[in-house]
Parts: sequence; C-alpha cells; structure tokens
Amino acid sequence: MTAESTLSAEALAADRLQRARAALQGVEVRMGAPSQGWQAPTFPCAENLEAVIPAGLRRGQVVSVTGSTSLMLALVAEASRDGAWTAMIGMPHVGVVAASRRGIELSRLALVPYPGVHAAAAAGACLEGMEVVLLGEGLALSFADRRRLMTRVRERGAVLVVAGPWEGAHTSLTVESHRWLGLGAGDGRLRERQLTVAVGGRAHGNARRVTLTLDEDSGARWVRPGVRQTLGVHQTLGVNQTLGVNQTLDEGVA
Amino acid sequence: MSAPAVVVTVRRAVLWVPDWPVVAAMVAAGVGADAPAAVLHGRGLVAVSAAARRSGVKRGMRKRVAQRTCPEVELLPHDEGRDAREFEAVAAAAERVVAGVEISRPGLLMIPADGAARFHGSEEALAEALVTEVAAAGYECAVGAADGLLAAIMAARSSALVPAGHSQEFLAPAGVQSLSLAAMERTQRTAVDDLASVLTRLGIYTLRDFTALPAGDVLARFGQVGMWAYRIARGEDVRPPVLRRAEEDIAVEYVFEDPAQRVEQLALVAGLVAGQLDQALLDAGVRCGKVRITARTERGESLERVWRTDVGSRAGAFGRHMTDRVRWQLEGWLSGTGQGGGPEPAPLMSLGVTAEDVVALGAEQNYLWGGTSGADSRAARSLDRVQGLLGAEGVLTVSEQGGRSPRDRVLALAWGQEAPPARKVAHPWPGRIPDPAPATVLAIPEPIAVLDAGGSPVVVNRRLALSAPPTWVRHLVTSPKHRRPDEGGPIYGEVVPVDSWAGPWPVVERWWSEDGSRSAYLQVALDDGPALLVAFSDGGWVLEAIYD
Repeated sequence: MTAESTLSAEALAADRLQRARAALQGVEVRMGAPSQGWQAPTFPCAENLEAVIPAGLRRGQVVSVTGSTSLMLALVAEASRDGAWTAMIGMPHVGVVAASRRGIELSRLALVPYPGVHAAAAAGACLEGMEVVLLGEGLALSFADRRRLMTRVRERGAVLVVAGPWEGAHTSLTVESHRWLGLGAGDGRLRERQLTVAVGGRAHGNARRVTLTLDEDSGARWVRPGVRQTLGVHQTLGVNQTLGVNQTLDEGVA
Repeated sequence: MSAPAVVVTVRRAVLWVPDWPVVAAMVAAGVGADAPAAVLHGRGLVAVSAAARRSGVKRGMRKRVAQRTCPEVELLPHDEGRDAREFEAVAAAAERVVAGVEISRPGLLMIPADGAARFHGSEEALAEALVTEVAAAGYECAVGAADGLLAAIMAARSSALVPAGHSQEFLAPAGVQSLSLAAMERTQRTAVDDLASVLTRLGIYTLRDFTALPAGDVLARFGQVGMWAYRIARGEDVRPPVLRRAEEDIAVEYVFEDPAQRVEQLALVAGLVAGQLDQALLDAGVRCGKVRITARTERGESLERVWRTDVGSRAGAFGRHMTDRVRWQLEGWLSGTGQGGGPEPAPLMSLGVTAEDVVALGAEQNYLWGGTSGADSRAARSLDRVQGLLGAEGVLTVSEQGGRSPRDRVLALAWGQEAPPARKVAHPWPGRIPDPAPATVLAIPEPIAVLDAGGSPVVVNRRLALSAPPTWVRHLVTSPKHRRPDEGGPIYGEVVPVDSWAGPWPVVERWWSEDGSRSAYLQVALDDGPALLVAFSDGGWVLEAIYD
C-alpha cells in the first residue's frame, strides 16, 4: 500500500512539472522571447580576456568599461568576427583602423556618431536589429532610458558594452593603469601594453584586479635593456639582488 | 608532321578601327582628327595617331622622346573606361547593319558573317554597308572576313576577304609576332609577346614554322599559352563569338520647368521620380541592387551619388526608400552640409535616377554560405530606422583606405551610400604611423602643450631635431572627447609626466596641393596613463590620437 501511494505521488509530481513547463512555455510564446531562441548563451570571446570575464560575454548582459576604448573593442571583436552586427553609438572618435585590427568586421559595423537627443531611440532601434551595441560616454540617457535599454538587451539576447559607469551593469571593468612597452627616450615605437583592470559589477563579488596584455608583441621583449625594462624584470628585481650588487661593490672597494 | 587536320571554325567578319585609344581620346578631348596626338600610360605611349606616326612618334616611346621627335604632339591620358564608352557609338552603328555583334575589345568588333552576308547579298556588300554606317557615325574603320579568330583579325587589318577554307594559307607567311593581335587582355598580350620573342630566338619566325611543330611538343614546352597560340595559328577558333543585345538603361529623368530651390518642392519630385523608377523596374520584371541619383544645377554642375538598395520591389517600399535617399541627398547639398565639399549650392535643373546592378526578379544571388541572412536584413532595417530619425549622415558605414595619419585611413560614408575609396590601401604609404593603431582618433585635433624639464614648450626645428626631450604634457581642461569645437580658446590643466617617448617622425604630404600638410609626429607614453600621438605643425602641438 505504501509503495502504491509513493507511485501515485511521483506521478502527481511529474504531472505538475509538465503542466508548469507548459505554462512557462505559453508565457514565453506570448511574450515573444523564448530563451531557447538564442543559439548560444555566450558570444565567443578572445582567449586572453578570460581572466577579465571568466563567464564569457553573456547574452542579455550589460558590460561597462571605464578608461579604455581598446578594451571595449577587444571584448566584442570575436563576436563581430563570428557574424554579429555591431553598432557604435555616440563614439565619434573611435579609431576604425584599430577596430578592424582587433577583428571587428567593418562591413557589419555601423556608427551613429552624434545621436544627440535621440540617443535612447537610436540605441533602442539598434538593439532591435543588432546583437552587439557599444555606447559612448556622455550620452543623453535618463535613468528610465537606461532601465529600458537593459530590459531590451535581456529580451533580445544582445549585449551592451558601455563606456563609463553604468548603474546595474552585470560586469564593470575599470582600467586603473596603462603600461606601454616599446618606447624609449626618442626611439622605439609603441608595441605592447599591459592594463590593470578592476573587475566588479552585479554578477561578481568583491572587485578583483587583473593584469591584461593587449597587442601582444613578442618583439617588445627585445628592446635594449638600458632603454626600458619589461614588467617581468621589475618584479623579479627584489631586495636580495639589489643587496647582492651592493655586496659585490663593497668587496670590490675593499 | 601530320596532314593539316580539318578544323571547325566560325566564319566571321571583323570590324577594326585603327589606333582606337588615341581616336577615342581625341574625340573626348576635342582634338582635330588630323592633329598629331598620342595616349600616354605610365611611362610610355600606348597608342599613336596617324599624323603623329608620320612625324616619327612610335608606340612605346617615352614622353620626353616623343615630345622631342614631334614638339606639337598632343599627349592625352590613358582611360580604359573612356575607350569603352566612346566605342559604344561604333558598336551602335554596326548594330544598325547586323543584328548582333561582339565587342572583343574597344576598337575591335566581331560579327558572325554567315547570316549577315546572306542577308546583305555577299560579304563585300556587308563590308561596304558596315564601313558606310560607321563612317556616318564619324569614324574610319576597316572590315575583313575569314575563318577563325586570328585570320579574321589579320584580314581586317589588310581589308581582305579570305575565301572559306583558305585561312591557314593566309596565315602561314605571317610572323609569330602577329599572334598577340588575337590576345584581348593586357596580361594575355604580354604572355603572348614573351612567347613570340622566345620563338624568334629559337629560329621560328613564321606561323608556318610554328604550326609545323608537333602539338604535343608545343604543349610540353610552352604550356597553356603555347597551346592557345598553336590553335590560333592553325586558324582555329578558341570560342564562338558572344553576341550582345543592346539594352536600354532603366532610368527616369525629371526636368524642372523653373529651377527648383526649395526642399519641399524637391521632396515632392523625389517621390514622383522614385515611384516612376519603381514602376519601370516592375514593367521590365527586374530589380536593382544600386541606384544612381544625379542632379544637375543651373550652372551645369552635377551631383552624383550611388546608393545601395536591397528593398526589392515590395509594393511601395522601394518608392518610399528611394524618396528618402533622394531627399537626403538634395537636402544635405542645398543646405551646404554635404560631405566632401561638393559643388556650390545652386537651383536644380533636372533630377535623374538610374537603376544599376539590374537582375531579373527571382534571380538574385545568395551568399555562398546560406542565403541573405535574417540578421543582415534585420540590422539593415533598424539602421534605416535610425537614419530616418537622424538624417542620412547620422548613420555611417566605415571602411579602411590608404593614408598616413590615423584619421586619413578611414573612409566614412552615409549608411547605404557607395563610393570608391579615394586612396588605395595597397599602396606603400611610407611614413605611416606604425601599428598598433590608436583606439581613439580625434575628429578634430586638439591643442596640447608638450613641455621640457624646465617647463618651456618643446619645438621641432627645421632639421627635425627636438629642442629638448619632452618631459611634461599638459592636456586641455575639458576632456577632448567631450569638448565641442565652439567652446572658445584652449584652457590647459595639470601637467602630466612623460614616461617614455619616440620620434619625431616627419610626414610631408601633398606639398604640391592646397591641402598639403607638414608635421612631425611623436608617440608619448604617460606615467600610468594611456599613450598619446601628438603632432607638431605650424609651431604648435596638437593631440591627434589616444592609445587608450
């Protein structure tokens, strides 16, 4: 008898689960945003950015980047190369050649350099039809506009990368320092850069710091030692080595 | 050597206009037909008129040698587009005599002779009719007929009618150099010229000697080019003539009774013209990939732009789409805000739209991998909406072009508009700022102060030496990203220490023209901050780009 009752309870539970799923599907169809419609939950992202966004560039999320246009471009480059359309709104000074070198496909890129008072409408329209939208700094967006844009990003399964702070961003990346390698005192050229990025935001716990190398250039290690030392050398040059030099000097004098 | 095999050929007549490039250039430049003239391409002459040849100017001469030989010779620029365009008149004249012709290259027409000769009575009659009709159009030409391609071309050069089946005898005494006459493209012609020179050095001077070689050996020694030449020399055809049918452009033109100046007036006409073009496309059962909009002004200038369209012929959509494009183009131009500094605004006399890239309805090509993706058309629709909100120049598409400074390397056009880049990327561009490219390129350079250790401004002297190593940089108070150009003079802020720097790299551009520039670039890495690209010109430093 007990066996029979557990069996009927299990059947009941399965039935309830099925009904719940059907109801959920009905709601999704009514709202016109079935989450299964997104082919993949994340956009592809470059390997060296894994430290910065370990979960990848997730659809439906907002990423705010402060202090580096290159980092914005690098975040979305793989997605664009993979076939996503990209809009850059309110970024009149973006370096198109840099975008192209990072891997953004220029034939699938549209710039809206000066949206003016229509910033919210333009961003909304772009989110309707494009998967990756980049917003520049200083756009005329009210708090309500921002909430609305976030909702739309979630509905469309797009991704919004914003320059400057953005309340409620899932990930917020703040570039704290740049360090360029390859320049000397009048010679060399810019070759490789290291960014220190503070990663925070709603989807993360406490902020953590990550060092990221962009524009990796193996030739940068070959700069003459007197001109500019690489970061690695700085770090390993500890107290002991300095002491060692002093000791040998003392011995020499003695 | 085996007995000459039977070769299958098409009997064809060839119409040849001697020295076509120079004839076309003289017509276009309005030079009299008896004046000495030549067409110059690169370092040598490519075509020489009869009068110039009489005074000793030859093909392949250098410009200076030609001018010394005949000081009054008129040197005209080379333009393949012009050659093809002008030849249209000759082709049209020939088409009044025969039904279909093939333009092998500008200057040379090919006509299948059998049917046409039967219609006109004889080949002589056909040749006479062709020469008369082309002469009426204002050009001198020669007509010949023979079996096979090379024989027909050679016959035209000597105005001969070679009887059927005698092509091989006609060709036999000709030199191997004549093979290049049958080559229609420049690359093919160079390959055949090389072949001819090798044959001459091997002691094979005439086509008779060449065709006496075994075919297998020719293929083994000279490859595909050799085999092609061998078949041509035997009087064979490589391919049958491809006939063209004359087709009218699908175009609509509206001529204003009074010159139009007001935008509202133009908008109305734009709607009308777009509707007419839509109807014309529907009537012809085609759709178009591009539309060329041409507006002519009172002063005789014309404003032309090409817009891409993928709206197809959905009822009314195409008309509305094109109305917007026409209105944007004219509005931007009449208000003088159009890009690229077009002609002076003036009242319009006429407005024309022409359909380009025309394909039959239902015959549109899909992409290689899958059809026109839904994502593309969705993106295009949303960009059209933004463009409706902000105007044509509100949404830009960008592409890379050649140039030295980061700003010069970008070509930005209104979304949907098409234009070729002004400068080619493939050219070398010595002195270009090396990669990596800056991520922020200021649309208008901002003044910046570059100071030495003592705080006085650094200058670059005539010999491109810096007065002192740059130690400090002073930005403007307002961040260059947010500063509007109309906000008064520069106000500098705190000084920032320079970590390392490289340069100066001098770039002198277009000194011969008004938009020439002379500047020296400096890459400056700031302490713990982004690197900057600054330029020194006219005694002051400007911030060109930020590597942020």
